[in-house]
Amino acid sequence: MTATPMTTTDAGAAASAQAGTRRSGNPFAMLRRALVYVLLSIAAFVSVFPFFWMIVGTTNTSADIIRGKASFGSAFFDNAATFFTQVDALRVFWNSAVIAIVGTVLTLAISSLAGYSFEMFRSKVRERIFALLLLLLSIPFAALMVPLFVMFAQAKLVNTYVAVILPTVASIFIIFYFRQATKAFPSELRDAAKIDGLKEWQIFLYVYLPVMRSTYAAATIIIFMANWNNYLWPLIVLQTAENKTITLIVSALTSAYTPDYGMILFGTVLATLPTLIIFFLLQRRFVEGMLGAVK
Amino acid sequence: MSSVKLRGVRKAYGAHEVIKGVDLDVPSKQFVVFVGPSGCGKSTLLRMIAGLEHITAGDLEIGGERMNDVDPSKRGIAMVFQTYALYPHMTVRENMGFALRFAGVAKDQIARQVGDAARVLALEPLLDRYPKQLSGGQRQRVAIGRAIVRNPQVFLFDEPLSNLDAELRVHMRIEIARLHKELQTTIIYVTHDQVEAMTLADTIVVLRDGIIEQVGSPLDLYDDPANQFVAGFIGSPKMNFLAGTIVEKAANGVTVELTNHKGTRLTLPVSGGAMGEAVALGVRAEHFGEPGAGDSDISLRVDVAEHLGSTSYVYANAGGEALVIEREESRHEIGVDQISVSIAAAQAYLFDSAGKRIR
Repeated sequence: MTATPMTTTDAGAAASAQAGTRRSGNPFAMLRRALVYVLLSIAAFVSVFPFFWMIVGTTNTSADIIRGKASFGSAFFDNAATFFTQVDALRVFWNSAVIAIVGTVLTLAISSLAGYSFEMFRSKVRERIFALLLLLLSIPFAALMVPLFVMFAQAKLVNTYVAVILPTVASIFIIFYFRQATKAFPSELRDAAKIDGLKEWQIFLYVYLPVMRSTYAAATIIIFMANWNNYLWPLIVLQTAENKTITLIVSALTSAYTPDYGMILFGTVLATLPTLIIFFLLQRRFVEGMLGAVK
Repeated sequence: MSSVKLRGVRKAYGAHEVIKGVDLDVPSKQFVVFVGPSGCGKSTLLRMIAGLEHITAGDLEIGGERMNDVDPSKRGIAMVFQTYALYPHMTVRENMGFALRFAGVAKDQIARQVGDAARVLALEPLLDRYPKQLSGGQRQRVAIGRAIVRNPQVFLFDEPLSNLDAELRVHMRIEIARLHKELQTTIIYVTHDQVEAMTLADTIVVLRDGIIEQVGSPLDLYDDPANQFVAGFIGSPKMNFLAGTIVEKAANGVTVELTNHKGTRLTLPVSGGAMGEAVALGVRAEHFGEPGAGDSDISLRVDVAEHLGSTSYVYANAGGEALVIEREESRHEIGVDQISVSIAAAQAYLFDSAGKRIR
């Protein structure tokens, strides 16, 4: 018996025939595929349309927006001028930036240290404490607001950046995230570093931190977005206009008797920009971090 | 270079004891290999010497100084890990000089020491690469280089070749042997591969369940095992064991009748054992001779034969007792269902039911 070797062309033809069969397969599979595409398209539209509407809105007048005009207009500079007249933008962005950046750095430092310690150090009570922490996640923030406010009022910290930042720095979710990520950190690296003469804090700083940079990048995006978009707690503790953040100000603009939607959407676009920039800068690392990559 | 002494060393995790009192002297400049099956405690013992595991009881001395509570970096040791443990965010040069940087060594001195180690290991062209740009063998050489740079009194190797493919393993084995000859340092090397142990070691330490079964040179352990475990562990293929019973004791030795070969008797030149005692007769694969050439012949059913070129291994059995026979002379005749081989009493070993050697 002889066998003719399959040529590249044969193989290609076979593959495309197979693909063709797959494509023109049974009608139910095609229908299911079509349904999936329709659903995905709807989901994509629902996700993208608000952004599109927001950007288009910045170029239209309030009347056009109310009418539902979905095309670009010529009121962009008018909306911008109105926004910058009504809002002390520099101050507001400064407040948001300080709270988001300081909050992110402190949360990363404290929560990653906690996550690292939970995973690296053996203790009889470790798992119980960790389980207790996870249990605390189930307490809604609404139940904590009043006692927190009383606590900060007694400490005379109401209407300060500290009052906004402090409750977020030991984030249980981020501790959990870092602990899970640390499971992929090779313990031999820690052993090698010990033999190389590093103290525990040096191992954390010079070995763990650079090796886990993808995890840090992913956490940075999550924390920065949470801090930048934080609304409820700053609304409670920041009481004077000069301390308000961009989210509070944009929200306040909507409560006017006749809101200027063009101007409000301009403010919203401005408020969205920093998180978008951070996300695009760290996008690749974010994906790696979410996949738990240790390279 | 320094010696290492272990005196009554124990390690326990809670109530579970994994190292059960180890006494060992590793003389200066010796290549000592810890060998044993998985879970025998060989890596734990090495990590205790390195200072990565706390010593529950006993004393550890390196270079005559008690080291139980001394920081790993101050014990004068360097360790090479199975997974290389290279810092992925640093170049080869930075990896090799990292310990010196933290020891406060001047930059030009670090560059000199890294350069010297790189020259010894032929790593010079790779110095500016990252670990992910290196092959497994190159990574392991960098890990060894990182250890050399520290100029340690004792090198510790924890299964350094386990992650390499067979060909590279042989190559690296020769590299490590050459390095030991060149550097003349004390090396403690952990492996579960007894071929590595036999080829590299000046002294082999066989461990089982947290205790030392036997210490000796590779050929001492091979030729004169203290018990059935060591006899079975050292040597490839492993020693064959045939069940038997002592049927006669005389001045010239002990006669054993093999359980699965009725009527086959063999008189070994030993004096221990008791009449009627169940024993195991140990015969190495290469010690089975042509029929009639030894003291007794046995007949076996052939399962399979492996031809390696210069040698062939016949996997055979009798009454469920699996045996491996090495054939060099008559390897072309293998393939029949039955095979007859002879056993020479002088080349056989006898073990009691507890696995202890009967001498």
